[in-house]
Formats: sequence, C-alpha cells, structure tokens
Amino acid sequence: MNYFVKRVGFMAITVFAVCALTFFLVNLIPGGTAELIIKHTIVGIEDSVTKEQLEQISSRYNLNDPLYLQFYTWVKKAILTGDIGTSYVFKKPVLYLLALRLPATIQLAGASMVLAAVAGISLGIYSALRENQLSDHILRVATLFGVSMPGFWVALILILIFSLKLKLVPVSGYGNLENLFLPAVALSLHSVAAVMRITRTCMLETMGQEYIMFAKSKGLPMWKIVSRHALKNAMLPIVTVIGFQMGSLLGGAVVIEKIFAWPGIGSLLVDSISARDLPMIQGCVLAIVTMFLVVNFIVDIIYTHLDPRIRYG
Amino acid sequence: MSLIEINDLSVEFHTGEDSVKAVSHASFDIKEGETFGLIGESGSGKSVIGLAILRLLPTNAEVSGNIFFQGQDIFSIKPSELRKIRGKHIALMPQNPAGSLNPVLKNGLQIKEVYEERGIDKKEGIKKALKLMEKLLLKDPEKLLDLYPHQLSGGMRQRLIACMSLSFEPELLIADEPTKGLDPEAKAGAVDLFTKIKKEYGKTMLLITHDLDLALEVCDRIAVMYAGEIVELDEASKVLSEPLHPYTRGLIRAHPRNGLVPLIGQSPSRIRLPEGCFFHERCKNSGFECSRQHPEMKTHNGGWIRCHFQSLQ
Repeated sequence: MNYFVKRVGFMAITVFAVCALTFFLVNLIPGGTAELIIKHTIVGIEDSVTKEQLEQISSRYNLNDPLYLQFYTWVKKAILTGDIGTSYVFKKPVLYLLALRLPATIQLAGASMVLAAVAGISLGIYSALRENQLSDHILRVATLFGVSMPGFWVALILILIFSLKLKLVPVSGYGNLENLFLPAVALSLHSVAAVMRITRTCMLETMGQEYIMFAKSKGLPMWKIVSRHALKNAMLPIVTVIGFQMGSLLGGAVVIEKIFAWPGIGSLLVDSISARDLPMIQGCVLAIVTMFLVVNFIVDIIYTHLDPRIRYG
Repeated sequence: MSLIEINDLSVEFHTGEDSVKAVSHASFDIKEGETFGLIGESGSGKSVIGLAILRLLPTNAEVSGNIFFQGQDIFSIKPSELRKIRGKHIALMPQNPAGSLNPVLKNGLQIKEVYEERGIDKKEGIKKALKLMEKLLLKDPEKLLDLYPHQLSGGMRQRLIACMSLSFEPELLIADEPTKGLDPEAKAGAVDLFTKIKKEYGKTMLLITHDLDLALEVCDRIAVMYAGEIVELDEASKVLSEPLHPYTRGLIRAHPRNGLVPLIGQSPSRIRLPEGCFFHERCKNSGFECSRQHPEMKTHNGGWIRCHFQSLQ
C-alpha cells in the first residue's frame, strides 16, 4: 500500500514538472501570444491587429502578469477546482475538449500497442526458435528497416499503396475499423520491430536455461515449453519495452493523427501550438503524460504477476 | 540383460572454428536394476553422456555412435516417440536443483505437468505426487505445492526434483551430480535419499557424480572418466578400493579422507588433445609408449582399463 502512495506521489511530481516545463517553453517561442490569439480568433491570419484588441486580450487572459504568476494562477485553479482553463480558440473548457478528442487517441494508441505486442512477441518467438535460419535472418533485416523508417514516411507510403493504388482502405477519416487500419500500422511499425528484437533476445536467453532442459526431459511438447516455461520468464524485459514504446506511440500519434486527419489529442496539440492556445497545449500535454505514466504504472504491476520474486514494499 | 547400451559414443561441440571433444568413444551398458556410476572430475564429459541419452544436447553438439534403450535406437527415433520416453521411461534428475526449477511457476504446476502430459487426471496426478513427496521425506507436501521454488531450501528443491523425476517410476533414472553444491548436511540427506530410492524403487540408475562417497554407497559398477574417455570400468568396490588406472588412483588419493593429495597438472585441452594417452603428461608411470600410442580399452581381471602400464599385463 505504502508503495502505491509513493508511486502516485511520484507521478504527481512528474506531471507538475512537465506542466511547468511546457508552460515556460511555450512562452519562449518568439512572437506575441496576444497577437496570435487575436489572429486565430477575432481577425484573420493575414490581417493586422489593433492596439485596443491587444490590450483587451492581454487583460482578459492576464497576459501582462509575470510568467510565474500566470503559472501559479493556473496551477492553483487546477488543484483547487479541477479547472485547467478554457481554450482561447474554442472558447470551451479544456477538459471538455480533451474528453471529446481523447477516445480517438486512446483508440489509435491502444490499437497500435496491441499490434506491437501481438505481432512483436509472436514474430520474436518465431525468430528465436528459428535462430540463424533463413526466416530468422529475413525477419532481423526487416526489423532493421522497421526501426529505421520514420513513422510519417511509412504513413505516406502506406497511403500510396493501400489507398491510392489498391483502393483497399480510405485515405483518412475516423469512425470504423478500416479507418483505423493504416494509422495503426504506420504508428506501430517502429514498436513492432522494437518489441520483436527484445523478444528474440530474451527468448534465446531463456531457452538456454537449465529449467528449459529439465522441462524437455519431462517429455513436454515444444509449444508448452515455449508458452509456459520460456515466455513467462522472457516476458519481464518485453513488458518493459512495451511500456516505454507507449511514449513513442503517443509522440508518433501527434504526427500520424495529423496525416490521417485523425481527430485525436495529437492533431489538437499541433493546432493549439500554432494558435498559441496555451491552456489547450497544457491540457494536451497533461493528458499525454498522464497516459504514459498510467501505462508504465500498469507495467510495474504486471511485473509482480509475472515474477513472484518481485515484491514492492 | 542390459537395459541400455551405449556404443562408441562421441560428442563434439562446435564453437566457431574450434571444436571441443567432450566425449570420445565411450561404450558401456547398464543392466536392469543396476546402479551404474560415472565418476570423474568436472568437465570430464560425464554429464554430456547423461544428456546425450535423452537427446538434450544443444544444437551445436555433433554426436556419433549409438545408444540402444530397450532395443530402440535413441538417435534415430522420431521426436514424438522421444517425448514419450522422456520423463516416463528415462527420467533426468538434473544437477543444480535451483536452476532446474522454473522460478516463475508454482511448484505444484511443475509437478502436475509431468502427469498432465500422459493424460492422467489432474487430481489423480496431485494425489500421486503428494504420496511420492511424503515418501521422499518432504514435510507438508500440500503447502509446498502453492509455493514458488525460491521459497524452498536447497535440499527441498532437490527432493522436489526427485519427485518429478520419479513420477512414473522410470526404467532408467539419470541422476546428474545430485550432491553438487549442497552443504554437508544436505549431502548426507542426498545419500539417504538415493539409498532410499534404490531400495524402494529398485530401478536402474545412472549416477553421474564426483562424490566418491556417494558412488561407493549406492553404485554397483563404476566407470571412471578422464578427458572425455572412460579409463576404467569395474565393480564399484573394486574400482574404489583397488584402483588400477593411475588416474583413478590419483582421484582416490585426492579425497580428503585419504590425505588430500592433489593430482599434479591439469586435464588436457579438449580442443587439441595430446598424442598418446590423454593422461600421460600427469602420469607417474608414464613410459615411452604412453606418449606415442593411444591406449585401447582392455579387459583386466573382469573389468576394463585403458592403460599401457606394464604391471597390468
């Protein structure tokens, strides 16, 4: 129990640090915040901004206060009332907008993670069992490509092949399974390769252990030795890698969502940054960081179930 | 009637450019109901023979010769047939009980799976296992089933492994260094355990050990191995009380009870074996012939010996 309290406390500190960093970094971007807000909300991007408008917006959003005071006010309000601000652009509470966009991102990142886990682990096992045979070499070269190709480029190639040439799935859109296919594949490719590599390495190490030989001497069939004896032992580092991949999936989602017009937090974040919609940026980063922390917390809990020798106290 | 016959068994391990000759031309047979001991220092190839019988050697091992178990050629049967023999007809009691139990699976499951594979009902299997555990001096067997291997003591782990190996009262039990790494008390316990196994089950056993006390206590016949070769083979009492081969004599003199006189020198490199007798460089009786010609196995007073030593003729 004590462990959980410590862990949650640590997560809270992480979230706070990330929020502070985001706030000050966004304010480091050249160009006036008030001016950009006006251009995105009142007048057009190309239009000029009047002094009255600037003063009005600056005082409405307290933009003339020192930065630390602005941040302090935001944090105080967030902790006391749970209100993390109102979007300058959409004029709606950030939480409401996040709730609107979150399901799409969870769907995409979740599908990619499942794909990375299932494909990565099974290909990794296959590769390990065929060590140094032709199929193993082919898969290993394939992973090299997988980890080397950037996701956004893979996305464009996939669109070119599957949507434009073969006309199997739509280019973009959101709602049903065929829309999910391309973005999930493009997003997860890197993670599939990473998970596969670690699975292969760990399986090879585990298969050489004495308990595997003893299991063989008991007359167990190969599939049972792999699934029951080897995989559970090899799983610890694999789960760790999958947890860390969540970070790259959420980061990759920012670009992939933009490419596929996927209405998730990633594309919202990109739009908010160009509009200097500070509360919205804060909200998006907060959501992404929280998702990452929660997944890694779950990973740590899975540890104790995988290896009885691990106990948190 | 011999239960198992090993003819001219050689095992080489290929590692890169070199190959290590682990076993060279070993031949012996084990009679039904007999306890046959393989003794020799670490690395003399004893365990490799044990593993070869169950075809458990790693893939980089090149095996020649043949092994007949109840008339069946072990090296030419199909994997599915081999699985039927493993655990049921020939069982292995591996060295290093700590490493041979799967750390992430409960003891109960690791016992159960031996029965499960033979279509025996789970409850029936557990009942059989519990009975066996009680017989082998394990206290509170039911409690042990729910624990993990790391929660047991070294002696308990060994008994647990013995239970698994004896599940089907195999025709041949291969016990690989059962006293290795045990403290004196557990060692005495292991001697008890083996005399008990021998008395109660009366099964054929291949005991691989460098523990001369254990060998004398339970073995009927003994083969002494040096540098991958059998150098002397005879009844246990004869080998251990009136050893003929200079190496066996050295081995017995090196025993603490006999004054702890070490054998001078080291066993030869197994990548480049010496010409002539493998032992001649360390042998007190080494003559001209010994460094030139490799000695063959010869009968001598009802036993077998591989030596040019003049006084033997």
